[in-house]
Order: sequence, then C-alpha cells, then structure tokens
Amino acid sequence: MAIVETTDLTKVYVQDVIGVEYGRIKIRLKGRRVAALQELNLTVNEGEIFGLLGPNGAGKTTAIKIFMGLIFPTEGNARIMGKPLGDRRVKAQIGFLPENPYFYDYLKGWEFLDYYGQLYGMARKTRRAKIDEILEMVGLTHAANLPLRGYSKGMLQRIGLGQALLNDPRIVFLDEPQSGLDPFGRKEMRDIILNLKEEGKTVFFSSHILSDAEMICDRVGILYKGKLINVGYLRDLLSAQIKEYEIVASNLQEEMLKDLEGKCERVIVRKQDVMVCVRQKADAEKIVRTILASPAQLVSYIPRQETLEEYFIRQIEGGGQ
Amino acid sequence: MLKILAIARNTFKEAVRNRILYILLIFALLIMASSGVISDLTIAAKDKLIKDLGLASISFFGLLIAVFVGIGLVYNEMDKKTIYTIISKPIDRYQFVLGKYGGLLLTVYVMMLIMTAFFLFVIYFQDLVSDETVSAAIGKISEQGIYQAPTVAQYGMYLIQSFFVATGRTMGTLLQLYHSPLTANILAVVGYSCLELAIITAFAILYSTVSSPTLSAIFTVLTFIIGRMSEDIIRYAWRLNEKGLTVALGGKLKYWFVVAAAHVSPNLELFNKRSEAIYKEEVPWDGLAVYYGIVYSAMIILLAIIVFRRRNFK
Repeated sequence: MAIVETTDLTKVYVQDVIGVEYGRIKIRLKGRRVAALQELNLTVNEGEIFGLLGPNGAGKTTAIKIFMGLIFPTEGNARIMGKPLGDRRVKAQIGFLPENPYFYDYLKGWEFLDYYGQLYGMARKTRRAKIDEILEMVGLTHAANLPLRGYSKGMLQRIGLGQALLNDPRIVFLDEPQSGLDPFGRKEMRDIILNLKEEGKTVFFSSHILSDAEMICDRVGILYKGKLINVGYLRDLLSAQIKEYEIVASNLQEEMLKDLEGKCERVIVRKQDVMVCVRQKADAEKIVRTILASPAQLVSYIPRQETLEEYFIRQIEGGGQ
Repeated sequence: MLKILAIARNTFKEAVRNRILYILLIFALLIMASSGVISDLTIAAKDKLIKDLGLASISFFGLLIAVFVGIGLVYNEMDKKTIYTIISKPIDRYQFVLGKYGGLLLTVYVMMLIMTAFFLFVIYFQDLVSDETVSAAIGKISEQGIYQAPTVAQYGMYLIQSFFVATGRTMGTLLQLYHSPLTANILAVVGYSCLELAIITAFAILYSTVSSPTLSAIFTVLTFIIGRMSEDIIRYAWRLNEKGLTVALGGKLKYWFVVAAAHVSPNLELFNKRSEAIYKEEVPWDGLAVYYGIVYSAMIILLAIIVFRRRNFK
C-alpha cells in the first residue's frame, strides 16, 4: 500500500527582485528561476525503507520539506496516507528529523522532549513514560538533565531522532540522518532504522552516503538536478548489472598468460597469482575451464556486481545531461 | 489551545534564559534606584520628577525588552531551523504565531511587574532615608567650588539604607498600599503602558516574520516613534489645511499621504497617562484606549498570521 504518493511535484524558486505572493495573488518582478524539484512522481510503500539518493543540491531536502509542509509546491501535489499535505491527523503520525538539526540549546534534553510531546498533544502521563523510553532507546538517559548546549553533534542527532519517534509514527522522514556522524554513530543510526522497519514503520530517508543506503534500503530513488532519474528495488537495479567476472589463478604457464592478455580487459600479475577480468560470461567460463584443464590452480571465480556507487555515477552521467 | 500554551511557555523559558533580558532589567532598576538621588538635584517638584522618571523608564525598558528579546525569538527559530521540527508537528501555523506572541507578551509583562514593584518601593520609601546619607550620596561642593563625587562606600551606604528602611516599611504598609490613590495611579499608568506594548510586541512579531532582526528592530522602534507622534502629526496637518497652508506640506497629495500614514500607524499617545498620574488627582478610565489597544494588537497579529501562513521556510 502506498503511504506517500506524489504527482508531478514541482518546486521552482523564483529569486524575485520584488515579490509578494499570497495564495493566488502574485505581484512580482521576476528574477532568475531555479527549479529545485521537477515533476517528481514517486510512490513509497508502507513498511519499506526508502532512500532518496542524490548529490548535494539534487532536491532531496526540497522534497522532504514539501512533505513536511514547510514549503509549498509550485505545481503538482503529494498525498501522505491518502490525505493532502498539511492535514493535522496525518502530521500526528509522522516523525521528522531535519538535516544537521539544531535545537533549543537552553532546554535540557528532557524538557526538550517534553515540549515536543506537548506539541503532539500527548497527555502528561503518557509523555513521561514515552520520554523515558525514548531516552533509553537513543542512549541519552545519562544526559536527560543536561542542557542541549552541551550536547555533541552525535548526541544532537540522537535526541533529534528521539523527538521524531516520540509520537510512535507510522512513517519517519529522515533528512541526511548519517551526515556528520562517526562510523560508530552511523552504525547505530543504521540499527535504529532497521529496528523501525521491524516495528512495521515506514522510513523515508535522504542520503548521499551510498554505502550506508545500500546496506539498509529496500528501494531507492535517484534524484539529480531536481529530476528523478530512476527508482526501484535495490536488487533489481543492481543485480541486473553484473559488471565483470573476476578470475584468480596461481602458477599459470607463460603461454597461457600471454593468451589471456590478448583476450581480457585487465590482467594483473602479483607474484605467482594472476587476476583477470572479463565482461562476458561465456568468455569467463571458457577461461575457467582452460585453467581447470591445465596444471594451474583456480583460486577464485567471482561475478562482480555493480556497487550502488558505480550505478549511481553511471545513472547521473547518463541522465544528467 | 494547549499547544499554543506549550509554545508560549517555551518562548517564555527561552526569554528568561536569555542574558540580554537581565542586562536590560538591571539598567532599568538602576535608573529607578538613582531617581531619588537625581531628584535631590532639582529645586522643586521632587516627587514629580521621581514619578516621571520612573514611569518613563518602565515604559521605555518595556519597549526595549519587546524589541531586543522579542525579535530574536521569532527570527532565531527560522534562522536556526528549529521551526522545521515545530511546523512538522500536528499544529497549525497560526498556533505558532499566537504562542510566540503570548510568550513574548508574558515576558514583557513579568518584567513590567518587577519594574513596577521596584518603582513603588523606591517612591514610597526613599524619603525615609536620612538626609545625611542622601547628601553624601549626591556628593558635595568643596570650599574651592569643586564638585566632589561620592565615594562608592557612600553611595553603597545610601542604597543599603534605602533598602532596609524600605523593606521594613513595605511589610507594614503592604495592605494599605493597595488602596492608596498614588499606587492606583501608578498601576493605571503601567496598565495603559502594557496595552501600548501589546501593540508594539505585535508589530515586533509581524516584522520579524518577514525580515531580518536588525531591520525588524529598526522598524519596531520607528513604529513606536511614529505612533507616539501620530496624533500631533494629524493635528498639525489639519491645522495647516484649515488655514490653506497645505503648500507647507508639499501640496495636497503629500498632505493626504501624511494624514493617511498617521492614521494607519497606531496612535500610541492614547496610552500615555503619565501627565494625568503626575499632575492630576487620578487617572481616568479610558475605555477607548482599552478597546483600541486590544483591537489594534489583534489586527496586527492577524496580519502576521496571514503573512506567516503562506511562508516558505527555505
């Protein structure tokens, strides 16, 4: 079931020289137009982890801000849980962690969550219990009575995640949740996201750290210069593309090596081991059979998949122009 | 409603944890504390000077608090992007504006209350301080005709003595004080000042939803100044028009522009009851000012909500 659906979602920032806009009434002296998002058509299914990937400035944050009602689309529309954006009942079931969050530094960790709990309309008793639970979950119980001023970046990210989960949301939007975190923090964030999925929540996140996305996403959308280049299940996007076959053999005879050098993409010789790479499956199998028939030993035979990073670069090079 | 209260409470918390607030408050209290000494330098109308100075500083520092604390409050939320997580919660944008306004107004009023209490304390009890202490605190002219400033110890003595005498008297007269006409007058003046500040605070919120803190501060102070003068401007323009002297105002068009502008800006002189409190027996009930203050603030806040509702948070 679709939990987020967008049709032709477009956001154009007009850098007005003079501009007044209120609803349909627009008075402006137009300057340069910058399309931050162009006709985004996207569906996110309930219960999946969806990663919106793209380089900086691709429009990821713009898309999330539209979903959160922080900015209004120029054209097109989006529905969350089947309702138009800005619906309070829907907002009550959403969690949101912005990029590089900065929170009220004069509040203590506990006060901060309590304030946000009030904004969710939670009763005092529920709030108390939930806050303790959340602090425990994000590992900040010890810092509950410290002002946020004294929090490290990683701690801020965690308390930020805490406020996003306070209302037990059906869907969580995370904008670059792993940026600025150390490897340990990134792993923790990954574990929390995977846990959320297990609890049946939908996670929508944006990232440019592809290795992290690769590990946790069910589906990804690739955004570049405001356009959605591709979207799909990670395994479909990647496994269709076996990039090359890598064969390693040792104690190969001289004439065989020469023969291979003529046929293969790359041949790398390291002491007695030889690594060769070929594009075609038939060629690879032929080489493997030859090696097996000879006195040389076959060390490994690996069909290498494209990594998300390689796929990503290829997509952008193809679709960006 | 509960959500508006939550936002207001948090705004108040932010304000009272801000150092600027205390710097302003300390300045205000210092000026009032010194008013006793300053008034001793005047020949006559000592009481009037103390009252005028005290009441003027309450109103002035109220304005400064509204401007310097208030404008930062709204702008910071946008600048530091804390507003992202607030707006994405199940609240409406108007609730945010109302909450901010409520919290800021509460801050301003609490500060007004502290200043007023301190001011009452000063006017009631400074006469009880011995003349010697007062004259020591003023300093003296030496035989050669050179002014000798008081030492810190002498001034400190004055403050300490005022404090103890005052505290003792406060305890004794706390109940009577409420009924005294002087207190009632002062409270009335402060009350009208509070209405004036409700309008100014609303303007501060409106400006800070659309522009940077510096500009907002300038606009708010300008609004205050124009508001205080608008009555005079209109009267002056009319008088000139009656006498057929609109040329002095740069022609008819400019005349109407001036009159219109003066009408649109708030008439803040309506809330200035200081002269009544000082020179008359009592401050009369001014229903017009009360309704005007409430309606005008409500309209400005409504405008702020309208602007804020369609705002994109980039």
